Amino acid sequence: MRGWLLRRGADGLFTALLAAVALVALVHALPGDPLAAVLGERTATPEQLSALAARWGTDQPLLTRLSRYFVALAHGDLGFSMTRGVPVGAVLLERLWPTVLLGSLTLLIDFTLGLALGLWAALHPATWRARLLGAFTIIGYAVPSFVAGMVLIWLFGIRLGWLPVAGRSDVLLKMDASAWEIFIDRLRHLILPLTTMVIATIAVPIRQQRAAVQGVMAAPWVRAARARGVSPARVAWRHCWRPALTPIVTLFGLWLPMLVAGAVFIEGLFAWPGLGALIAEATAAHDVPLVVGAGLLLVAAVQIGSLLADLLYRVVDPVQRDQ
Amino acid sequence: MRQAFLIAALAAAPLAAQSPRTVPGTVVMAVGEEPTRPFPVVGSKSTAEADVADQLFLRLGGLDPSLRTAGDNALRPELARSWKRIDSLTIQFELDPRARWHDGVPVRAHDLVYTWQLMNNPAVGFNGLATLEPIESVEAVGARGVRFHFRRAFPEQVYLAGFNLLPLPAHLLERLPVDSIATSSWASKPIGNGPYRFARRVPGDFVELRADPAFFLGRPGIARVLVRFVSDPVARKNLLLSGETDLLENVPQSNLAELKALPSLRLVTVANNILLYALFNSRDPADTARPHPILADVRVRDALGLALDRQTMAQSAFGAGVGVPDAAQSQIWAWITPRGMAGQPQNVPRARALLAAAGWRDTDGDGILDRNGQPLRLTLLVPPGVRRPFAVQVQQMWRAVGVRADIDEVDRAPYTERRNAGRFDIDFAAVSQDPAPSSLVQSWSCATVGVPGSTNVAHWCDSSFDQRLATALTSQRPLGAWKGVIERMTAWHPAIFLAAPVNTVAVHRRFTNVTIWPTRSWRSLWLWQVRPEAALPRDR
Repeated sequence: MRGWLLRRGADGLFTALLAAVALVALVHALPGDPLAAVLGERTATPEQLSALAARWGTDQPLLTRLSRYFVALAHGDLGFSMTRGVPVGAVLLERLWPTVLLGSLTLLIDFTLGLALGLWAALHPATWRARLLGAFTIIGYAVPSFVAGMVLIWLFGIRLGWLPVAGRSDVLLKMDASAWEIFIDRLRHLILPLTTMVIATIAVPIRQQRAAVQGVMAAPWVRAARARGVSPARVAWRHCWRPALTPIVTLFGLWLPMLVAGAVFIEGLFAWPGLGALIAEATAAHDVPLVVGAGLLLVAAVQIGSLLADLLYRVVDPVQRDQ
Repeated sequence: MRQAFLIAALAAAPLAAQSPRTVPGTVVMAVGEEPTRPFPVVGSKSTAEADVADQLFLRLGGLDPSLRTAGDNALRPELARSWKRIDSLTIQFELDPRARWHDGVPVRAHDLVYTWQLMNNPAVGFNGLATLEPIESVEAVGARGVRFHFRRAFPEQVYLAGFNLLPLPAHLLERLPVDSIATSSWASKPIGNGPYRFARRVPGDFVELRADPAFFLGRPGIARVLVRFVSDPVARKNLLLSGETDLLENVPQSNLAELKALPSLRLVTVANNILLYALFNSRDPADTARPHPILADVRVRDALGLALDRQTMAQSAFGAGVGVPDAAQSQIWAWITPRGMAGQPQNVPRARALLAAAGWRDTDGDGILDRNGQPLRLTLLVPPGVRRPFAVQVQQMWRAVGVRADIDEVDRAPYTERRNAGRFDIDFAAVSQDPAPSSLVQSWSCATVGVPGSTNVAHWCDSSFDQRLATALTSQRPLGAWKGVIERMTAWHPAIFLAAPVNTVAVHRRFTNVTIWPTRSWRSLWLWQVRPEAALPRDR
């Protein structure tokens, strides 16, 4: 196991490095003067331009810029944001936590409630409840996330006034508020964006799990178990659910980067101060160091997601483990 | 057309006349950009940052409601209690001896000298340097005297120096290297000299300001200002509808009815300094030494303007109240020619006649005019965003008179690069105009052609315009002179001016003594108050 983990980790690191080189080179080679992020549509004097170019290193050839960037990166330095004038690492760190919170809770709900509902739907395919669930999941999947979000905001935020419509915290909360007050406040702000995210995503694990379980239910060992008189609950849990997890693990690995990328539309609509919104802002402003920093974070997330998925395969599938 | 007010002043009773019963008051607003560097010179790149900086830092003087910038009485005292003219090239401001930085240190003349040096340091990249070019030097005269030396005599000297130079605290920043100021501990919690102190910033979320009880011009009427960062305009509107915020500026046309229906809000219209225009390139984009092969002809430029139904285009985007001037004149300069906001209407027959007179005819019957075998084909350089719908409509209307226009929509950075290099036929530009009309020099005068750093990217030069500009810049009766400048630009057609929108602002009704300014909406926020009988829990 340890040898496998080391090999897999080294593979992941190598892939991440290649992806990082490609990303950094591509973003730096984009057309347009990167100083546009600093200057906007204004012009500058030649002295100002050369001072700014020297400060941001844009007067150097591409290869020099890239080598300097990677040397700094090796020291954990992602450079400075051109629009904010502060270290990119600090900006990413500020925005990482809200995104991880929203993304991880979405994944948690999708892969607990979603799997349970998928399993239940597979075991009760002919009931009206299962059909209703199928219809709801299809609607949730088909309706654009911002539309679902707008409806929730209008109903629970504007019409009923039960929940805050945007932000991560109440700006009016006292600075010396207790931990409990802060917790409740954060929870209230989390409900609408989280519900929107879940509505937009839960259909996939439900339908994947239902299809996978239905496939397994036709397997000979399941029929044999039933013939032996094993209880339906035991058949479902012991003989169907676990073998049906393999495609779900793949899905989990693919979705993990969502923790980092967030959901641009949903973060924007709910003014959720996460990475998704930050990436959108940085891209619009042509803030190259910030775009590259966020991109590197995504590369890392994809690799970690892939590694975790491989680990989970070995947990749920004994054949993989033996290989 | 409804005429916009230059500023909106609601229930503008003086503070002393207010009810003795007061509540501390809280204003919550949402802005589209995160105010991460809300301080002048080394920060303040965005409108949101400048709006917050306005609460933290004072100018030497503020404009009066007329927004006239000429003359030695153009400003009202703020940080400076008075100023006197030494000679035609020298003015001395006297700082108010009561003025203090938020750490208690008195504001000194040296702070202004230090700030002036910072502005001139190329490494800072201060973007207002071109505007301040007429100032030759700034010198301290004792602890509180600040003397400005100008390169030439002109009527806007007091405005230029007093309104545009916001001092930074030299005693806190002088020892820091220039490039580390923006990342210093001071920058994370700026110490200013304005009516509000910086309390805290929750990254990505909001900034909180608290009234400075010792503010030398009087205790602010609103105790707390919360500036929320909300990049999505729909989210900003939702926050207002749910009552979580109190203000919204630049309310889109599509939201007006919905907000009007809310009894807690009132909508006010204020002049805006934004101007959208299609800038003709006077030079050949392939070789700027040559005149533009099509657009150098004034008849063609005039025809292209006449072919457009600018009123319909502007109103569909910005609603009623939008101006469609014939010269570079946003709403804040409506005082020059109040009727200038209603430009000449569409006249397709006249446009066709002018093009024919310029030699453009459809000889091959393909629907596109041509001359000497060359089609009348132009490229529209468009940045991403709100200007694209205008470009699409322009394209369709020009097609009707036989002009082919290709839209070249490019990302922000290449757009800026191409614009500044003059590589375009027609640029869909937008500008936020300075209150001083003398700023026309930077974009339209012969003196700025080919000058690095100038905004005259289309290389426009008209000697008659320059002559009138020179007269206006030195005239003791500037109104008539500026009228002449605008008239000349109207006849010269260096651009088609597409829209001069107004700023519709939604404000909660519980506020009184509300004044909203055109270029900086919330400059007088500290004078606002809350009607005690209408106060919300967050006001107490």
